[in-house]
Amino acid sequence: MVKRWLSRYFARKQLLAQNALVQRYIVIDLELTGFDPKQHEIVSIAWVLIENQCIKLSQAQHAINKDVLRLEQSPVYHGIAQQDVATGQSLAAILAKLSAHFSDAILVFHNATLDWGFLKQAFQAHNIDVQPLLIIDTFQIEKKRLHQQGQEIGLDDLTLGACRARYELPHYGCHHALTDAMATAELLLAQCHQISGGKKLKLAALL
Amino acid sequence: MNSEQQEVAQFVLAQTPFSHLEHSATDYFVKHLDVIYLTRENQTQWLQSESPKLFLIRSGLYDLVDAKGDVITRLAQGDYFGFPSLLTGEAIQNRLAVQKEGIVYMLNQDAFDYLRREYKPFEQYFVRAHANRLLSSHYKSQNNSWSERKISELMSRKAVSLSPDASIRQAAKKMKEHGVSSIMVTEYERLVGVVTDRDLRNRVLADEVDPKEAVSTIMSAKPKFIFENNRVFSALHLMLKHNIHHLPVLDEHHKALGMITSTDLLRQQKSDPVQLIGRIYKSHSVTDLKRYAAEIPGLLRSFSHNIDDISLIGKLLSGLTDALTSRLIYLFQEECGAAPTSFSFICFGSQAREEQTLHSDQDNGLLLPDDLSEQHQDYYRRMGEFVCEQLVECGIRRCPGNIMASSELCRMSISDWCEKFFAWIKSPTPEAMLNCKIFFDLRFIEGSTALYTAFCEQLTRISRNELFYAAMATDIKSNSVPIGLFNQFKLEKDAKQHKYIDLKKRGVVIINDIVRLYALKAGIRRANTQERLDALLKHSLLSDHDVYNLKDCWRFLTQLRLRTQINEEGLPSNCINPDKLSSLERHQLKEAFYLLKLAQQAAAFKFARGSL
Repeated sequence: MVKRWLSRYFARKQLLAQNALVQRYIVIDLELTGFDPKQHEIVSIAWVLIENQCIKLSQAQHAINKDVLRLEQSPVYHGIAQQDVATGQSLAAILAKLSAHFSDAILVFHNATLDWGFLKQAFQAHNIDVQPLLIIDTFQIEKKRLHQQGQEIGLDDLTLGACRARYELPHYGCHHALTDAMATAELLLAQCHQISGGKKLKLAALL
Repeated sequence: MNSEQQEVAQFVLAQTPFSHLEHSATDYFVKHLDVIYLTRENQTQWLQSESPKLFLIRSGLYDLVDAKGDVITRLAQGDYFGFPSLLTGEAIQNRLAVQKEGIVYMLNQDAFDYLRREYKPFEQYFVRAHANRLLSSHYKSQNNSWSERKISELMSRKAVSLSPDASIRQAAKKMKEHGVSSIMVTEYERLVGVVTDRDLRNRVLADEVDPKEAVSTIMSAKPKFIFENNRVFSALHLMLKHNIHHLPVLDEHHKALGMITSTDLLRQQKSDPVQLIGRIYKSHSVTDLKRYAAEIPGLLRSFSHNIDDISLIGKLLSGLTDALTSRLIYLFQEECGAAPTSFSFICFGSQAREEQTLHSDQDNGLLLPDDLSEQHQDYYRRMGEFVCEQLVECGIRRCPGNIMASSELCRMSISDWCEKFFAWIKSPTPEAMLNCKIFFDLRFIEGSTALYTAFCEQLTRISRNELFYAAMATDIKSNSVPIGLFNQFKLEKDAKQHKYIDLKKRGVVIINDIVRLYALKAGIRRANTQERLDALLKHSLLSDHDVYNLKDCWRFLTQLRLRTQINEEGLPSNCINPDKLSSLERHQLKEAFYLLKLAQQAAAFKFARGSL
């Protein structure tokens, strides 16, 4: 047990020293029926892959969870209605496909606490054992950057839209898992550029 | 599972050519995109010749810069780049200067080729964009000869055709109606034959065939043809090889588009400016000359669409005026006997500087040996009058200030010319300064170069006068550059309260004046501003950096000036309203004026220290 923990500790340490600009990332976004993993459900999952600072749309995925039980009021936010749910896939299948990337890609979320919280719960419920290499959170990156600049952080300053606006990235409209995953991926690229200033960037600098 | 890239798809769908294509094209494009955040630091990573890509800008600002470092254009949201290498397979020539980093979409060669194959408008859009950029960036007059153009560029006439069962008479009537010498016979838009004037003569009239017969009985079946995107050269080759004068033009689906004739090809050849100058030098009558001169405005119009380097237009027009002048002098001697002594026909001002426009008037003179007999003087009077009059006939206006070889004051011996210049140099009144600006830009056109060189040597000697330089520098300083203390434009107003900047008077003229002063000081015998600047590089009067700055300013201002000739606001000619410029151009204009102001001050400091 200790041995396994130690080897993971060193692997992580080694990883953090690596160049962040050449890593493979999987940027994930979920649409949910609410904020509590214990009582709410995942409506859809989308992800895009980043290789060498390049977002590969050809490998982007979006899937609706057909097992979702109660959408409640959430369609107001994500626009996925009951009839769309029928066209979806089983959560188990989606999770299996997603977890296949975990061995060679670093996970990226905007506000990982929420999305990873739901995913962890889902993986456990489906008995899928996952060991992410590393989880990076564009929300936390931005929070840290604003702190370092000595700025007051308001409630709305760290939403995906607000963060993107700070880098003059284009404004995206509706909430859609795939759009948000894309938006998060673009934000990560812009953040990497800002933090590195065109020089080397270690993964540790993104935590 | 992947059709929901809504934001990307919506954006792409709003761009040409996708806005004109089926949604499937956008879907394919989006599905195969790579998205990057393009920055100054990582741009070389993406712009690589080994793997050319199509780039579409989603956000940010980038300048497209050519190999020489000149900005070709500024790219922003919705602009494409990278397609020339995809189309031609050649190495990437241009690079990017990132002004503001942002999101850029990239498509690889395979996906680009797929879209080209599947969607014709996509192909056409990029081929055209490529052609436009080639034309606008640099006019390569030598290697871009007419014979390498595509057929579609010079095919003006629409298809005149009829069906095979129409009668011969109908064919003849239709040809008469459209004023054409040949007609295509088509079946379901496909070419099946051709009938020409010659066929009507040889196969109908001479053979006494009934004109009521079907046209298919006398047509040339399975004629030779050419595709619209073939080169003109191929058409010429086909015509010569098979001794035919009419060649049907088809599109890729073999649909008949029109006919190209040997006359069309000849007309192409004619519009080449170099050819025109050649023909002027070979013509044997004033009537011929006038006919060729009449082609100049049209030629210039078609020519100026293809280039944006205005200095070429000035050179071309001056070259044409030189050619006309030379030939007129030759024709005069044919008529009135060879010149009795050596003489030099020279020009001044804009013609000498090779900055002529279509509206420029004559500025010329005759340089003669000293002590001419009255009889000889009379000969040159007639020569001067003949040349100037005929030039007017050829469309080059009389000089309002009478600076023409027809005037006694501009038809003088070396000594008299020197005396005239010396008087201006000795007492630099404002009027004398004005004369100096015209007459010190001089160039040899025809006659004896020895006489001209002797005159230039004397002129260099007498103009070596510090007080004269100081007067010129002071005069230059009095013409203010239209830029204020805080880098704001100083605008002029006309009677109708239009606000404007005079690019010629407040820009180009000042550069010409400054450069002339340095050239005089350095003893450079050139009249063209760019050539003077090149020659100044070998002198220590100006640093290389200053010379390059002046060259850039001159080029930028003249270029901008060309555009003012198509101004819609009713401003005086050569004037612009800076509000109508793009932010980049406004910035460049301010920069140019700022540099010009510095150069003006430097000249005043260098030459007029004592007198200020």
